[in-house]
Amino acid sequence: MENEIKFSPTDFIAAANQTLEYAYGSILIEGEVASFKVNQGKWVFFDIKDAESSIPCFMTLFQLRMPLEDGMKVVVRGVPKITKWGKFSFTVQAVRPVGEGSLKKAYEILKKKLSDEGLFAAERKRQIPKDLTKIGVISSTAAAGYADFIKIINARWGGLKIQVAHTQVQGLDAPDQIIRALKYFNERNNVQMIAILRGGGSADDLAAFNDEELVRAVAASRIPVITGIGHEVDESLCDLAADVRASTPSNAAEMLTPDRENMKWAITMIINELFRVIINRAEDLKKDSVEIVAQIRNVINMKIVDFRKILSNQIKMLVALNPEKVLKQGYAILNGKISPGNVVKITTYDKEIKAEVKEVYERN
Amino acid sequence: MSETKSLNQKFEELEKAKEWFYSDDFSLDKVAEKYKMAIALAKELQEDLSNLQNEIEILDEDFTK
Repeated sequence: MENEIKFSPTDFIAAANQTLEYAYGSILIEGEVASFKVNQGKWVFFDIKDAESSIPCFMTLFQLRMPLEDGMKVVVRGVPKITKWGKFSFTVQAVRPVGEGSLKKAYEILKKKLSDEGLFAAERKRQIPKDLTKIGVISSTAAAGYADFIKIINARWGGLKIQVAHTQVQGLDAPDQIIRALKYFNERNNVQMIAILRGGGSADDLAAFNDEELVRAVAASRIPVITGIGHEVDESLCDLAADVRASTPSNAAEMLTPDRENMKWAITMIINELFRVIINRAEDLKKDSVEIVAQIRNVINMKIVDFRKILSNQIKMLVALNPEKVLKQGYAILNGKISPGNVVKITTYDKEIKAEVKEVYERN
Repeated sequence: MSETKSLNQKFEELEKAKEWFYSDDFSLDKVAEKYKMAIALAKELQEDLSNLQNEIEILDEDFTK
């Protein structure tokens, strides 16, 4: 005993903690929550347990990014240590629910809380800018979802400036990285829309997008946000907080851009339409010309009929006034100076008579 | 982006050209010239659309810290 190292309680605890730090650093523990409580509105205590053992955990309320309840299965990241009172404790740096049941429960609790605050209200939603040319993308450049987005957007449209913030899109660190990327774009304000993208995965894989701080950051973004997370059936709280929700990263690319092939087809249709219009209008003009000629012909015909009537009447008049007709009725025409002693010519219907005037007197 | 704006302007021009064919100003004297102009504009637009490319920049920023 004389030659053995002796520690004071303080020194022993310090040495033990150093050993723990050296041996374990930051580790992950998965288990079930028990005895969850919050003290003085800022200190969180709970046990994480399995069938045989239990580890006491401690964290600040500020670090709690998803609601916890007894019975939830969680994974915690933290460091083990011995307190100055000799108690073993696990200081939690991050915690999140795992497994469908726990995730669903945490999701529902947080969804209600944020919905009651108005974070998901329809009137908060902004439209995709009409003249969109600058997009900020937050995603993992190694992920299939990102690759799909880039492939579709390049096929559909061009002339865009796309800045990509590479982050993790699952795991405990993902929410903070995405928040930093959101802050980056908002501070520089040189994009018109931010797209947060992540392909399909399990409920555990997508859990990062139900992190309370991240959801609030999406809602607070001054730049409109579109999310394309998971598949059609997956709905995260980030989706609800975003301005526009796309069902997948590919769908996000479709919503953000027109389709150049459709536009090229539409242009071809316009030219085809113009050709048909030319034919139709030429036909109309031809029809108009034929009609005009027919109308003119009708007018001329009517004039001819009128003239014929007038001519016929005049002929009748002339016939009626013909002297031969008068002579036929027994009248005679007298030519010459009518004075006594003169010779005058008398014309009847069938004779011409020369006669001498004997006497001339006025008729009463 | 100037290329996109120029595209929009060209689309508007094509729409205006189309309106002439429906208007009272339509005449057989001018139709050949107007149709040729519309086809030339359409071809230009389709070429522009085919040639459009996106500029993609992966930021250097480290978002892990």
